[in-house]
Amino acid sequence: MSQHIQMTVNDQQVGPVEVPEGLKMIEFLHEYLNLTGTKFGCGAGVCHACTVIVEGKNGVSEVVRTCISGVERFVDKKVRTVEGHAKRNAAGEITELTPVQMAFLEHFSFQCGWCTSGFINETTALMERLAQAPVAAADVEQVIEEALKEHICRCTGYVKYYQGVKDLILNTKGLTY
Amino acid sequence: MNSFSSSRRTFIKRCVISGIAVYSAPLLWKMGNSQAGGLSEALTAQFKGNNKLKFRMDGIAKVTGEKIYGRDYRAMDMPGWPDQQGYAYILRLDDAGHVYQGFDLNMLPQQARPGQVITAKELARDGVSLPPFFGSDMLLPEGKTAHYLGHAVAILLFDNFAAFKQAKNLLQFNKKVIRYGEKTAFVSESRDPYTSWRIIREEGESGPSGEDKYSPLQDGIFFPNYKAHRPQWPEVMDQQGSVSERGMYYAGRINEDITGGNENWQVLEREYRTQIIDPMMMEPEAFNGWFDEKEGTFHTVITSQSPQDYQEQAVHMLKHGPLAGKVKNLVVHSPFIGGGFGAKDHSIFPYYGLVAAMYAGKPMRLANDRFEQFQAGLKRHPFTMKNRLAVDKKTLKIKALTADMTVDGGGRVNFTGSVTMVGATALQSIYYIPRNDIKATAYASRNPDSGSMRGYGTLQSMATMESMMNEMAGDLKVDAIDLRRANVMESGQRNTQGAIPNGALRYREMLDMAQQHPMWLERAAKKAAFEAANPGKKYGVGFGITTKDYGTGAASPSAAVRLSKSGKIEVDICFMEMGTGTQSSQAVVVKDKLGVIADKVTVAEVDAWQAMQQIQTHNPYFINQQQQDEMEKNPRWTPVIGMASAASMSSYYQTHATKAAAEIIFRHGIWPAAVAIWSEKYFNGTMAPNNLNDAGAARWVDGKLTTQGYPPLSIEVLAKRVHDMGLVTGAMVHAFNRWAWSEATYDILGQEVNLEVDGLALQYGDGANDRLKAAMNSKGYHLLDRTSVNYPETALNNAMVTYYAPCAAMVEIAVNEGNGEVEILNSHTWLEAGKVIVEELVEGQIQGGLAMGVGHALYEEIPSFEDGAGNGTWNLNRYKVPKADQVGVWRQQHTILPPLSDTDPSKGIGEVVMISIVPALVEAVYQAISVRFYDLPMTAQKIKGAIS
Repeated sequence: MSQHIQMTVNDQQVGPVEVPEGLKMIEFLHEYLNLTGTKFGCGAGVCHACTVIVEGKNGVSEVVRTCISGVERFVDKKVRTVEGHAKRNAAGEITELTPVQMAFLEHFSFQCGWCTSGFINETTALMERLAQAPVAAADVEQVIEEALKEHICRCTGYVKYYQGVKDLILNTKGLTY
Repeated sequence: MNSFSSSRRTFIKRCVISGIAVYSAPLLWKMGNSQAGGLSEALTAQFKGNNKLKFRMDGIAKVTGEKIYGRDYRAMDMPGWPDQQGYAYILRLDDAGHVYQGFDLNMLPQQARPGQVITAKELARDGVSLPPFFGSDMLLPEGKTAHYLGHAVAILLFDNFAAFKQAKNLLQFNKKVIRYGEKTAFVSESRDPYTSWRIIREEGESGPSGEDKYSPLQDGIFFPNYKAHRPQWPEVMDQQGSVSERGMYYAGRINEDITGGNENWQVLEREYRTQIIDPMMMEPEAFNGWFDEKEGTFHTVITSQSPQDYQEQAVHMLKHGPLAGKVKNLVVHSPFIGGGFGAKDHSIFPYYGLVAAMYAGKPMRLANDRFEQFQAGLKRHPFTMKNRLAVDKKTLKIKALTADMTVDGGGRVNFTGSVTMVGATALQSIYYIPRNDIKATAYASRNPDSGSMRGYGTLQSMATMESMMNEMAGDLKVDAIDLRRANVMESGQRNTQGAIPNGALRYREMLDMAQQHPMWLERAAKKAAFEAANPGKKYGVGFGITTKDYGTGAASPSAAVRLSKSGKIEVDICFMEMGTGTQSSQAVVVKDKLGVIADKVTVAEVDAWQAMQQIQTHNPYFINQQQQDEMEKNPRWTPVIGMASAASMSSYYQTHATKAAAEIIFRHGIWPAAVAIWSEKYFNGTMAPNNLNDAGAARWVDGKLTTQGYPPLSIEVLAKRVHDMGLVTGAMVHAFNRWAWSEATYDILGQEVNLEVDGLALQYGDGANDRLKAAMNSKGYHLLDRTSVNYPETALNNAMVTYYAPCAAMVEIAVNEGNGEVEILNSHTWLEAGKVIVEELVEGQIQGGLAMGVGHALYEEIPSFEDGAGNGTWNLNRYKVPKADQVGVWRQQHTILPPLSDTDPSKGIGEVVMISIVPALVEAVYQAISVRFYDLPMTAQKIKGAIS
């Protein structure tokens, strides 16, 4: 059994592509699109390393774990993976990073980096939510915990990720009051 | 010589092993440095900041999802490979108590059938076997019983992903696939122990620093015989006898005294158990390989901490099997790894991938999913330790320590021997022990094999010593830190092996700081207040301090530093980037000598060192002094050529080599060039001596070199002059450390210099004379012969370990009486890291180490045997690694002790940072609920049970 699917990934139209039944989205990204920035960690939806962003119609993004989600869930959706955040020049070279990417870099948030794409997508979605619904500055730590608490990092113990996100939120106009 | 021009697609020949030329492409052509193919140069150059590391060199690639890990690569990514990627799947056994009788693939529909199936029959037919390090039965033959749960029986090769995916869905977890026969004994029950160690020491009349009456360093080491698969230690006890007889004499005395009921002694006897831990590195192991028959070249992509070892072993495997005689070249790509924690060091995994690709005839990928990684990946050894500690009730001094450790090595031997030894040496923690008898034996079992996972045995043993000190303090009714202060090892005192730890021991300083911390001073008052304010919660504070050895006693780092004519600095190192920041820190290391951060650092280099043409002949641990004396006459000889990468090794060992290479360029390139410029432009150089004779008086200020008030010179200006004058522009070194660095004498441009390296090759600038230019004929380097060498004596092998880095942790917790959950309210870590290279990277190690220690103490656990990881059903839904809200993410504090001076070495701290929190948590739980745990982890369920 197979099916044909299509979607938009990082602003590129994909498909229709014939894929086997039961194909997970992360397998589609890796084996069919050769986008390996989304990382396989557990395959059971626990570690959240495989998180990607699905753009919402109302401007509010959704984060989805691709290791437990079938590819059919993403049909006709707009998907953003870690490869789709930074700006590139005509030669395809990355020339400018997003504030979330810079925050994690400058805070030395990660070591091995396997969990980084998941943290970037989750934090990016959080930033977009806060832009629409700011929170009190005093609540930022709690907001970050709620957003990131399921993401597993095995190297740096979370502290520098959380500090990076906190500094970024507090220093980004319009996200807190 | 400007090596910046070399093509990234050029594989560099490393050496020839058994007739096969080995090449490596350490990080694939795309990611060999920070100037990655997909990143703009202007962006990547930002990592250097204003000559202060702004972010990790590998950082941009990691936040943008670039292909940098071995698992990322498919055939289509590999130039020259066919696009069609094949996929391999390994069938494994989940029963080690019945005869294996074959497997059944009939449930697979036609389109999901494997194109090929490799079993023990094919391997036997073709003479393919594992490297000896891993033992036998790579694939178990029919009719035999699995050595361990998870033993592989077949490798299935699929032509495409769809077939592989469908087949795996049907085969994994399917109990009908494997056929078992009659019940048998476990294979492990018929095997002798993997290893046995005994560390006996009795202090001599001259005290802690004087000559011992008996110790391994002074007297040597002896081993038991095995009878009925158990160690039988010598029975003869003779104070005047052989090494073993004398050892047994002193061991007997120690044990007699500790059991003798001395009323002045407080004796604590306890049994401790640690659990099987999975390293849970985020990237499961993966492999990709293809044999290019036309070219006779076998290409492989691995995820390994020890690519050097893989290269050698893979070559030997390729000598047999379907490609015997066909493989002329082996290319090994070893990209970044997504965490390793020791479990990707000497892993058996890539050899299964190698066999798959060997038979496939097409690109073949083998990649564990998490279930498979749990089932087949290396684990942390579980220890059972029966410890006895005797303390003088009046003086609070430790009088004696004994231990009997049993270690489970799993079904295949890996680094069990050395892990067991290091675990035994670590028991003493930070304390001076005047008399000790520490036994440790490792056994085979049907568990998955354990290896060199982070801690290397010390986490298991040292945490128990700390728990004993905490409990002993309670028994003696003294402050737990006061008891430690009474016993802390001072600089110059001997360890349990009789060796003197190198350098200053700053344990007392750390204890003083901890004892003055408000968390400690106010713990009684806070407990009362907290529990009054939080009914149903119990409060506790715990403390632990440990000191972890780093090094192997046969460390052999290599480094090359090159200065281009435009002032760019390029560094090659032998260490792998495991995430700890080795690449970035080594870029910073050269700044001390060359004024600026390096522009490029190539990690995991294995080829370039061939320029030094070194040879290795003996096992460095077993070579005797006579052999060493004979071999060292050959200037090409070194005790060990290469080394694996480990988290606690790069900052000390790799830094030594990198610094040595940078220093040579400074002394024999930059300094004479600077003197020439200063003399020429800013001094009446022809009329008087310039008095610029002391290179040690030179200072780098804001990236420019000055001395004695002379105008600062930039690296660009200096580099041009170095090249124009034909001075040293590149230095490649190899060093060897057996608890001291070897030293050798060389002639560099007419100067006799003594260096702490045993291999040296140089490059010179354009202005060099024809003789020097002609001499650069060893892969572009001028290979220098040492004129003398001084290696550390082989007897130092008996020291076992002498380099230590200490860490202390204090933790404040609340225990929920209702569900047994532990909440970390606050924590403080103290770390003595020597000279810190990059503070942010050290902080990351502290915080990450604490999280992993929290996992070991509270959450992570795999049962042994049939219910354990070897059954193939384990994943993160059952194996609980700590999350942010379980480590007190917002309330972690730390103190990094300032170095004694800027000449302090940078210490290896990658492992010690995770140990102290374990006994601190054990004690904090005790202080909270008055129940002391001896088995780890202290899960919420166990705590709840203990409370009720």
